[in-house]
Amino acid sequence: MNALAPLPADTSVAAIDKSRVKLDVQNLDFFYGKNHALKGVSIPFAAKTVTALIGPSGCGKSTLLRALNRMYALYPGQKATGKIMFDGEDILRRGIDLSMLRAKIGMVFQKPTPFPMSIHDNVAFGVRLYETLGKADMAIRVEEALRRAALWDEVKDKLHTSGLGLSGGQQQRLCVARCIAVKPEILLLDEPTSALDPISSAKLEETVTQLKSDYTIIIVTHNLGQAARLSAYTGFMYLGELVEFGETEGMFTKPVTTRASDYITGRFG
Amino acid sequence: MAVSTRRIAARKLSNLAFVGFCLLVTAIALTALALILYSLVSQGLGGLNLDIFTKDTPAAGTPGGLLNAIIGSVLMAGLGMVIAVVIGILAGTWLAEYAGESRYGVVVRFLNDVLLSAPSILVGLFVYEILVHPFGSFSGYAGAVALALLAAPVITRTTEDVLKLQPIALRESGVALGTPVWTVIRTILWRGSTSGLLTGALLAFARISGETAPLLFTALNNQFRSFDMSKPMASLPVAIYQDALTPYNDLNRLAWTGALIIAASVLTITIAARFLSKEPRRS
Amino acid sequence: MSTIDAPAPGLAKSIRRTTPRGKAIDPIFEGLCFAAATALLAALGGVLISLFIGGWPALSKFGFGFLTGVTWDPVKDVYGAAGPMVGTLITSAVALAISLPIAGGVAFFLVELCPAPLRRPIGTAVELLAGIPSIVYGMWGLFVFAPYFAAHVETPLMTSAAPGSFAEQLFSGVPNGTGVLAASIILAIMILPFMAATLRELLMTVPAQVRESAYGLGATTGEVVMKVTLPYVRRGAIGAVMLGLGRALGETMAVTFIIGNSHDFPTGLFVAGSTIASTIASEFNEASGLQASALIALGLVLFLITFTVLALARLMLRTQVKG
Repeated sequence: MNALAPLPADTSVAAIDKSRVKLDVQNLDFFYGKNHALKGVSIPFAAKTVTALIGPSGCGKSTLLRALNRMYALYPGQKATGKIMFDGEDILRRGIDLSMLRAKIGMVFQKPTPFPMSIHDNVAFGVRLYETLGKADMAIRVEEALRRAALWDEVKDKLHTSGLGLSGGQQQRLCVARCIAVKPEILLLDEPTSALDPISSAKLEETVTQLKSDYTIIIVTHNLGQAARLSAYTGFMYLGELVEFGETEGMFTKPVTTRASDYITGRFG
Repeated sequence: MAVSTRRIAARKLSNLAFVGFCLLVTAIALTALALILYSLVSQGLGGLNLDIFTKDTPAAGTPGGLLNAIIGSVLMAGLGMVIAVVIGILAGTWLAEYAGESRYGVVVRFLNDVLLSAPSILVGLFVYEILVHPFGSFSGYAGAVALALLAAPVITRTTEDVLKLQPIALRESGVALGTPVWTVIRTILWRGSTSGLLTGALLAFARISGETAPLLFTALNNQFRSFDMSKPMASLPVAIYQDALTPYNDLNRLAWTGALIIAASVLTITIAARFLSKEPRRS
Repeated sequence: MSTIDAPAPGLAKSIRRTTPRGKAIDPIFEGLCFAAATALLAALGGVLISLFIGGWPALSKFGFGFLTGVTWDPVKDVYGAAGPMVGTLITSAVALAISLPIAGGVAFFLVELCPAPLRRPIGTAVELLAGIPSIVYGMWGLFVFAPYFAAHVETPLMTSAAPGSFAEQLFSGVPNGTGVLAASIILAIMILPFMAATLRELLMTVPAQVRESAYGLGATTGEVVMKVTLPYVRRGAIGAVMLGLGRALGETMAVTFIIGNSHDFPTGLFVAGSTIASTIASEFNEASGLQASALIALGLVLFLITFTVLALARLMLRTQVKG
């Protein structure tokens, strides 16, 4: 077992049984140029459960999320050190095939991002990259994905109209469908409902609840209620550090650290 | 605090002068431009008949039209645009997607803008030196290349601007699926900017269709109808230029008609481009 | 309908490829884009180099005297650029002086004074006119403006000037409507729409709150424009002006028709003159040998002047703080 840095005072990170851990972040440091954005973060993500990352703006939760699929590789000057173990491999090491990594780890962004093509083509887009399916097989795949994203009934009659014509909430579910059509193992959701109205948010949360039995889901959210509703585990971050991590129910009723307690009770936001 | 009424009066007066000045010069400007358009239409419309589009440029005293000049312009502008679009879109894409903050990117962007406003006659001289002088003959190809050099910077600029308007999250969504970068660019970014890219191409086309100077030393001119681009080629602007400078009235009139045709085409293309760019995103 | 199989450890069996379709093309595409960008750079460099090489015979023969020489004589094969250079600078400067206040006034009008329903049409009209090819202006200048100018401006001014006075010198020339002043006026009209459109765009970048605060303090329209909006876009305005200057310097067709094409140093407003561009345009095709080289050297001079002006202009526009 790797020796992790000793936990600073007023920090509490619960352990999870190794067999249940899908993604294991070990001692992650992240830099935007000279800015040290993540400091020695170690956090386990359990398989087929929802883990929420909460914390005030600027705490690093989105940075952590984006490190998991190495999205930062697009931008020179952004750097990560440490280890992230996924299925026995350290995905931070050089030489990892980023495309195949991203085929297994999907991401949904804060702003819905439908591609400028039909709904069908949106969902089929990722699939076409990795597989050659006939028209009939593709149609089945697309329908599956849309059903799981709870969007099928609303769009089944207009699969060949543009994805841009959908409402904000529908577009976001389209993005979810697009992700799961490639059959990933992990889904990263970066504040997926913050740009949506309450009704669409509720629908999306329902979708997440239904998906968690098949996917490992990590969700960054500003909305404490949402974290409490959806997740089994929660990590609270502050100023680049993971301050507290544990089962959601425990954290929200009796947080162990003072900083987490202050945040959850609203003493600061 | 007592406000001096003299002060207020002085300010009101100077404001009146300012407003008056603006109104006056706007009227002057609009009048001048209206006069030009009026001359263009009144002088050129009279000569507009079927012959223009069916006969070639004549010698003085004989009836004729502008067909060979129109054909030449279309051919050279067309070829020029093909070259310019390929180079411009690729270069603009490089600036928007690959260059980032690099020093080289800054230099390219800067010099592209300089080339955009460079005197077109100098571009003509350059193309003369590389495509006419070594081969000993003027050609439509040289003319097309000169036009391409004038259009490409326009397209580069508009491509870069339009691609940069696309939200970063869109780009990242493509990458997050593991999509290769060029596929992201081609199927997501370009496809999402088609109206902007088209607008850029139209604006570039409008610009080069009226250019005379770069054609003077590259394509020269041709009395006769020719589709052979390896020989001197007629073009509308050069035909107008030469006809206007002759002392013959009928040729002068032909020049006015040609000018009207060019102005009308440029205006139509520009209007089409603006119409395209204002169109809201359709579902 | 099939059930969705969970993405079990056997993930490999549903993914058939080991890299996504098209991945191999990535470096090729990037290379193509880079090549295109470099091609533009090379083109600009090529212009400079070819002008230098082509002009070298003339430059080496006349040395610095090329820039100061007033004689341009193809028969004797003596070439000096002073006449065309001065012509270029004078026509551009005068054109700018005439056009700038008018363009400014039009821009201010459109942004502050124009009633809302008229704003769109007039603004559009100005932008469309900026696209009219220069040859149209040239033709109008020669056929419509020149006779009028000769009859109603040149002749009265020339006949009314007292013999031996400065005015006589100023108004000297041939009253046929061509000449340095006429060319400057046509040039001014030509760059007017472009300058007005650019200035207007610039003024529109001023955030509404800034203007509203000024009005809220009780400032008059003139004061808001001159003391708030204009200073706000000062650098950009200078850049726009230089851009207009760059255009005027390189303009060929609007000027060639009407400047008279004489290489002598212009000595009066109505005297025929020449600009670098008009000289090249009217002589290059018949020129050979040293004359051709001299013309290319002229082109080099023009390139250097406009490059400097344009580079400064772009610098100004880029450092303009965008609202």
